[in-house]
Amino acid sequence: MTTTQVRTHRAPPGRGEALRTMARGVGQLLITLGVVILLFVGYELWFTGLYTQAQQHKLERQLETQWRGNGVDVSRLRVDHVPLGSGLAILRIPRFGKHWHMVIVEGTEFSDLQKGPGHYPGTALPGQVGNFAVAGHRTTYLHPFYNIDHLKPGTKIVLETKTMWFTYTVENLPNTPGYPHVPFQEIVDPTDVAVSYPVPDQPDMHAKPTLRLLTFTSCNPRYSAAQRIVLHAVLTQALAKGPGVVPPALAG
Amino acid sequence: MYVWIWRHLPGNVVAKVFGSLLVFAGACALLFLVVFPWIEPRLPFNDVTVNTPHAHSSPASPSPR
Repeated sequence: MTTTQVRTHRAPPGRGEALRTMARGVGQLLITLGVVILLFVGYELWFTGLYTQAQQHKLERQLETQWRGNGVDVSRLRVDHVPLGSGLAILRIPRFGKHWHMVIVEGTEFSDLQKGPGHYPGTALPGQVGNFAVAGHRTTYLHPFYNIDHLKPGTKIVLETKTMWFTYTVENLPNTPGYPHVPFQEIVDPTDVAVSYPVPDQPDMHAKPTLRLLTFTSCNPRYSAAQRIVLHAVLTQALAKGPGVVPPALAG
Repeated sequence: MYVWIWRHLPGNVVAKVFGSLLVFAGACALLFLVVFPWIEPRLPFNDVTVNTPHAHSSPASPSPR
Protein backbone atom coordinates (compact mmCIF):
# COMPACT_ATOMS: atom_id res chain seq x y z
CA MET A 1 0.00 0.00 0.00
CA THR A 2 1.41 3.39 -0.84
CA THR A 3 0.92 6.55 1.11
CA THR A 4 -0.99 8.17 -1.71
CA GLN A 5 -3.73 5.56 -1.41
CA VAL A 6 -4.19 6.28 2.27
CA ARG A 7 -4.21 10.01 1.67
CA THR A 8 -7.26 9.64 -0.56
CA HIS A 9 -9.57 9.14 2.42
CA ARG A 10 -8.61 11.94 4.69
CA ALA A 11 -5.33 13.65 5.30
CA PRO A 12 -3.97 11.51 8.15
CA PRO A 13 -1.02 12.41 10.30
CA GLY A 14 2.33 11.22 9.03
CA ARG A 15 3.69 7.89 10.15
CA GLY A 16 6.06 9.53 12.63
CA GLU A 17 3.28 11.48 14.22
CA ALA A 18 1.09 8.38 14.58
CA LEU A 19 3.91 6.60 16.36
CA ARG A 20 4.44 9.59 18.59
CA THR A 21 0.75 9.71 19.50
CA MET A 22 0.82 6.02 20.34
CA ALA A 23 3.96 6.33 22.44
CA ARG A 24 2.44 9.28 24.28
CA GLY A 25 -0.72 7.25 24.90
CA VAL A 26 1.21 4.31 26.31
CA GLY A 27 3.34 6.62 28.43
CA GLN A 28 0.31 8.39 29.88
CA LEU A 29 -1.35 5.04 30.57
CA LEU A 30 1.69 3.81 32.48
CA ILE A 31 1.91 7.04 34.48
CA THR A 32 -1.79 6.77 35.27
CA LEU A 33 -1.33 3.18 36.40
CA GLY A 34 1.54 4.23 38.63
CA VAL A 35 -0.54 6.99 40.21
CA VAL A 36 -3.44 4.57 40.76
CA ILE A 37 -1.12 2.10 42.50
CA LEU A 38 0.28 4.88 44.70
CA LEU A 39 -3.27 5.92 45.53
CA PHE A 40 -4.06 2.31 46.43
CA VAL A 41 -1.12 2.23 48.83
CA GLY A 42 -2.44 5.44 50.38
CA TYR A 43 -5.89 3.90 50.62
CA GLU A 44 -4.56 0.77 52.32
CA LEU A 45 -2.23 2.43 54.79
CA TRP A 46 -4.23 5.52 55.67
CA PHE A 47 -7.82 5.55 54.44
CA THR A 48 -8.67 2.08 55.86
CA GLY A 49 -7.59 3.37 59.28
CA LEU A 50 -10.18 6.16 59.11
CA TYR A 51 -12.89 3.56 58.60
CA THR A 52 -11.70 1.45 61.52
CA GLN A 53 -11.42 4.56 63.72
CA ALA A 54 -15.04 5.48 63.01
CA GLN A 55 -16.24 1.92 63.62
CA GLN A 56 -14.29 1.73 66.87
CA HIS A 57 -15.94 4.90 68.17
CA LYS A 58 -19.32 3.43 67.34
CA LEU A 59 -18.57 0.06 68.95
CA GLU A 60 -17.22 1.76 72.06
CA ARG A 61 -20.39 3.80 72.48
CA GLN A 62 -22.51 0.67 71.95
CA LEU A 63 -20.50 -1.28 74.53
CA GLU A 64 -20.79 1.54 77.07
CA THR A 65 -24.56 1.65 76.62
CA GLN A 66 -24.76 -2.12 76.82
CA TRP A 67 -22.62 -2.24 79.97
CA ARG A 68 -24.74 0.41 81.69
CA GLY A 69 -27.87 -1.62 80.98
CA ASN A 70 -28.75 -4.90 82.65
CA GLY A 71 -27.37 -7.22 79.97
CA VAL A 72 -25.40 -10.32 80.90
CA ASP A 73 -21.64 -10.04 81.08
CA VAL A 74 -19.91 -11.60 78.11
CA SER A 75 -17.69 -13.82 80.28
CA ARG A 76 -20.80 -15.52 81.63
CA LEU A 77 -22.26 -16.13 78.18
CA ARG A 78 -22.00 -19.33 76.23
CA VAL A 79 -19.57 -19.02 73.36
CA ASP A 80 -22.24 -19.34 70.67
CA HIS A 81 -24.42 -16.55 72.06
CA VAL A 82 -22.49 -13.49 70.95
CA PRO A 83 -23.88 -11.78 67.82
CA LEU A 84 -21.35 -11.52 64.97
CA GLY A 85 -19.91 -8.07 64.38
CA SER A 86 -20.80 -6.75 67.81
CA GLY A 87 -18.33 -5.47 70.39
CA LEU A 88 -17.13 -8.04 72.91
CA ALA A 89 -14.53 -6.52 75.21
CA ILE A 90 -12.02 -3.69 75.32
CA LEU A 91 -8.44 -4.71 74.73
CA ARG A 92 -5.60 -2.76 76.35
CA ILE A 93 -1.91 -3.45 75.88
CA PRO A 94 0.11 -0.95 77.96
CA ARG A 95 3.22 -1.89 75.95
CA PHE A 96 1.52 -0.27 72.93
CA GLY A 97 0.89 2.96 74.83
CA LYS A 98 -0.85 4.15 77.97
CA HIS A 99 -4.06 5.04 76.17
CA TRP A 100 -3.92 2.38 73.47
CA HIS A 101 -7.16 0.42 73.43
CA MET A 102 -9.39 -1.30 70.91
CA VAL A 103 -12.79 -2.93 70.98
CA ILE A 104 -12.63 -6.62 70.06
CA VAL A 105 -15.49 -7.62 67.77
CA GLU A 106 -17.08 -11.03 67.41
CA GLY A 107 -16.13 -12.74 64.15
CA THR A 108 -13.12 -12.99 61.87
CA GLU A 109 -14.74 -12.33 58.50
CA PHE A 110 -13.19 -9.58 56.39
CA SER A 111 -15.98 -7.18 57.39
CA ASP A 112 -15.49 -7.93 61.11
CA LEU A 113 -11.74 -7.36 60.97
CA GLN A 114 -12.29 -4.04 59.21
CA LYS A 115 -13.86 -2.84 62.48
CA GLY A 116 -11.14 -4.08 64.79
CA PRO A 117 -9.48 -7.21 66.15
CA GLY A 118 -11.91 -10.12 65.76
CA HIS A 119 -12.66 -13.00 68.12
CA TYR A 120 -12.72 -16.43 66.48
CA PRO A 121 -16.34 -17.53 66.96
CA GLY A 122 -16.59 -20.68 69.02
CA THR A 123 -13.37 -20.17 70.94
CA ALA A 124 -13.54 -19.32 74.65
CA LEU A 125 -14.72 -15.90 75.83
CA PRO A 126 -12.65 -13.56 78.04
CA GLY A 127 -11.64 -15.21 81.30
CA GLN A 128 -13.07 -18.60 80.44
CA VAL A 129 -11.23 -21.91 80.52
CA GLY A 130 -10.02 -22.60 76.97
CA ASN A 131 -8.49 -20.30 74.43
CA PHE A 132 -9.77 -16.77 73.73
CA ALA A 133 -8.46 -16.48 70.16
CA VAL A 134 -8.34 -13.14 68.34
CA ALA A 135 -7.19 -12.18 64.84
CA GLY A 136 -6.10 -8.65 64.04
CA HIS A 137 -4.57 -6.66 61.20
CA ARG A 138 -0.84 -6.05 61.35
CA THR A 139 -0.98 -3.45 58.59
CA THR A 140 -3.99 -1.44 57.32
CA TYR A 141 -7.26 -0.91 59.22
CA LEU A 142 -5.53 0.89 62.10
CA HIS A 143 -3.10 -2.08 62.28
CA PRO A 144 -3.86 -3.10 65.89
CA PHE A 145 -1.16 -5.79 65.87
CA TYR A 146 1.51 -3.81 63.97
CA ASN A 147 4.04 -4.38 66.77
CA ILE A 148 2.84 -7.81 67.89
CA ASP A 149 6.42 -9.03 67.52
CA HIS A 150 7.46 -6.58 70.28
CA LEU A 151 5.34 -8.41 72.85
CA LYS A 152 7.68 -10.61 74.90
CA PRO A 153 7.21 -12.87 77.94
CA GLY A 154 5.94 -10.78 80.84
CA THR A 155 3.93 -8.37 78.66
CA LYS A 156 0.48 -7.73 80.13
CA ILE A 157 -2.66 -7.87 78.00
CA VAL A 158 -5.79 -6.55 79.68
CA LEU A 159 -9.38 -7.28 78.68
CA GLU A 160 -12.25 -5.25 80.08
CA THR A 161 -15.73 -6.74 80.06
CA LYS A 162 -18.93 -5.47 81.64
CA THR A 163 -18.04 -6.64 85.14
CA MET A 164 -14.43 -7.82 84.99
CA TRP A 165 -10.82 -6.91 84.31
CA PHE A 166 -8.89 -9.89 82.96
CA THR A 167 -5.11 -9.61 82.85
CA TYR A 168 -3.22 -12.07 80.67
CA THR A 169 0.55 -12.41 80.68
CA VAL A 170 2.53 -13.36 77.58
CA GLU A 171 4.55 -16.48 78.37
CA ASN A 172 5.45 -19.96 77.18
CA LEU A 173 2.55 -22.12 78.28
CA PRO A 174 3.30 -23.65 81.69
CA ASN A 175 3.94 -27.40 81.76
CA THR A 176 0.46 -28.81 82.25
CA PRO A 177 -0.81 -32.37 81.84
CA GLY A 178 -2.49 -32.72 78.45
CA TYR A 179 -0.75 -29.65 76.98
CA PRO A 180 2.09 -29.87 74.46
CA HIS A 181 5.06 -27.54 74.75
CA VAL A 182 3.82 -24.23 73.33
CA PRO A 183 6.19 -21.24 73.10
CA PHE A 184 4.77 -17.75 73.65
CA GLN A 185 5.32 -16.86 70.01
CA GLU A 186 4.95 -19.06 66.97
CA ILE A 187 5.37 -18.45 63.25
CA VAL A 188 3.08 -20.89 61.46
CA ASP A 189 1.44 -21.59 58.12
CA PRO A 190 -1.85 -19.83 57.38
CA THR A 191 -3.59 -23.21 57.57
CA ASP A 192 -2.34 -24.10 61.05
CA VAL A 193 -5.69 -23.73 62.84
CA ALA A 194 -4.49 -25.76 65.84
CA VAL A 195 -2.97 -22.60 67.37
CA SER A 196 -6.52 -21.46 68.14
CA TYR A 197 -7.72 -24.78 69.60
CA PRO A 198 -8.82 -24.91 73.26
CA VAL A 199 -5.56 -26.77 73.91
CA PRO A 200 -3.25 -25.01 71.41
CA ASP A 201 -1.15 -27.15 69.07
CA GLN A 202 -2.87 -30.28 70.34
CA PRO A 203 -3.97 -32.21 67.24
CA ASP A 204 -7.23 -33.19 68.94
CA MET A 205 -9.43 -30.11 68.83
CA HIS A 206 -11.79 -31.60 71.41
CA ALA A 207 -9.09 -32.10 74.04
CA LYS A 208 -10.37 -30.80 77.37
CA PRO A 209 -8.66 -27.52 78.32
CA THR A 210 -7.70 -26.67 81.88
CA LEU A 211 -5.84 -23.38 81.32
CA ARG A 212 -7.37 -19.97 80.60
CA LEU A 213 -5.48 -18.74 77.54
CA LEU A 214 -5.47 -15.89 75.06
CA THR A 215 -4.12 -16.25 71.53
CA PHE A 216 -3.52 -13.54 68.92
CA THR A 217 -3.01 -14.27 65.23
CA SER A 218 -1.81 -11.78 62.64
CA CYS A 219 0.03 -11.82 59.35
CA ASN A 220 3.77 -12.28 59.07
CA PRO A 221 5.99 -10.76 57.90
CA ARG A 222 4.45 -7.27 57.89
CA TYR A 223 2.83 -6.39 54.55
CA SER A 224 2.70 -10.07 53.63
CA ALA A 225 0.35 -12.94 54.32
CA ALA A 226 2.79 -15.76 53.67
CA GLN A 227 2.74 -16.83 57.32
CA ARG A 228 0.92 -16.15 60.57
CA ILE A 229 2.50 -14.80 63.71
CA VAL A 230 0.87 -16.26 66.81
CA LEU A 231 1.12 -14.97 70.38
CA HIS A 232 -0.04 -16.88 73.47
CA ALA A 233 -0.78 -15.51 76.93
CA VAL A 234 -2.06 -17.02 80.18
CA LEU A 235 -4.69 -15.50 82.48
CA THR A 236 -2.85 -14.27 85.55
CA GLN A 237 -5.44 -12.05 87.22
CA ALA A 238 -9.20 -11.59 87.26
CA LEU A 239 -10.53 -8.53 89.07
CA ALA A 240 -14.16 -7.58 89.60
CA LYS A 241 -14.75 -4.04 88.35
CA GLY A 242 -15.69 -1.46 90.90
CA PRO A 243 -15.06 2.16 91.84
CA GLY A 244 -11.32 2.72 92.08
CA VAL A 245 -10.45 -0.79 90.92
CA VAL A 246 -7.73 -0.68 88.29
CA PRO A 247 -5.67 -3.72 87.29
CA PRO A 248 -2.02 -3.27 88.31
CA ALA A 249 -0.97 -3.65 84.67
CA LEU A 250 -2.80 -0.39 83.86
CA ALA A 251 -1.87 1.54 87.00
CA GLY A 252 0.83 4.20 86.84
CA MET B 1 -5.86 11.17 26.81
CA TYR B 2 -4.86 14.07 29.04
CA VAL B 3 -4.55 16.32 26.01
CA TRP B 4 -8.05 15.33 24.99
CA ILE B 5 -9.42 16.11 28.48
CA TRP B 6 -7.58 19.45 28.54
CA ARG B 7 -9.06 20.43 25.16
CA HIS B 8 -12.55 19.54 26.26
CA LEU B 9 -12.46 21.39 29.56
CA PRO B 10 -14.37 24.67 29.23
CA GLY B 11 -13.12 28.18 29.87
CA ASN B 12 -9.73 29.83 30.01
CA VAL B 13 -6.57 28.38 31.51
CA VAL B 14 -7.61 29.11 35.12
CA ALA B 15 -10.97 27.44 34.59
CA LYS B 16 -9.25 24.49 32.93
CA VAL B 17 -6.85 24.04 35.87
CA PHE B 18 -9.79 24.17 38.27
CA GLY B 19 -11.76 21.76 36.08
CA SER B 20 -8.91 19.27 35.85
CA LEU B 21 -8.54 19.30 39.65
CA LEU B 22 -12.25 18.52 39.90
CA VAL B 23 -11.88 15.63 37.46
CA PHE B 24 -8.91 14.31 39.45
CA ALA B 25 -10.86 14.56 42.72
CA GLY B 26 -13.75 12.71 41.13
CA ALA B 27 -11.46 9.95 39.89
CA CYS B 28 -9.92 9.63 43.38
CA ALA B 29 -13.34 9.41 45.00
CA LEU B 30 -14.36 6.69 42.57
CA LEU B 31 -11.19 4.75 43.31
CA PHE B 32 -11.34 5.14 47.12
CA LEU B 33 -15.04 4.54 47.57
CA VAL B 34 -15.82 1.98 44.88
CA VAL B 35 -12.86 0.37 43.16
CA PHE B 36 -10.42 -0.13 46.05
CA PRO B 37 -12.96 -1.49 48.57
CA TRP B 38 -14.09 -3.95 45.90
CA ILE B 39 -10.66 -5.12 44.91
CA GLU B 40 -9.17 -5.29 48.40
CA PRO B 41 -10.75 -8.51 49.73
CA ARG B 42 -9.66 -10.22 46.52
CA LEU B 43 -6.00 -9.48 47.13
CA PRO B 44 -4.06 -12.09 49.07
CA PHE B 45 -1.75 -9.99 51.22
CA ASN B 46 -4.07 -8.96 54.00
CA ASP B 47 -5.17 -12.23 55.63
CA VAL B 48 -4.60 -12.42 59.35
CA THR B 49 -6.60 -15.48 60.38
CA VAL B 50 -5.69 -19.12 60.52
CA ASN B 51 -8.01 -21.17 58.36
CA THR B 52 -8.48 -24.68 57.14
CA PRO B 53 -7.35 -24.79 53.50
CA HIS B 54 -10.78 -25.35 51.98
CA ALA B 55 -12.91 -23.13 54.15
CA HIS B 56 -11.53 -19.66 53.56
CA SER B 57 -12.39 -17.26 56.36
CA SER B 58 -14.64 -19.68 58.19
CA PRO B 59 -14.42 -20.02 61.95
CA ALA B 60 -11.18 -21.70 62.90
CA SER B 61 -12.51 -24.17 65.38
CA PRO B 62 -15.84 -25.38 66.65
CA SER B 63 -17.16 -24.75 70.10
CA PRO B 64 -14.67 -25.97 72.69
CA ARG B 65 -17.32 -27.52 74.86
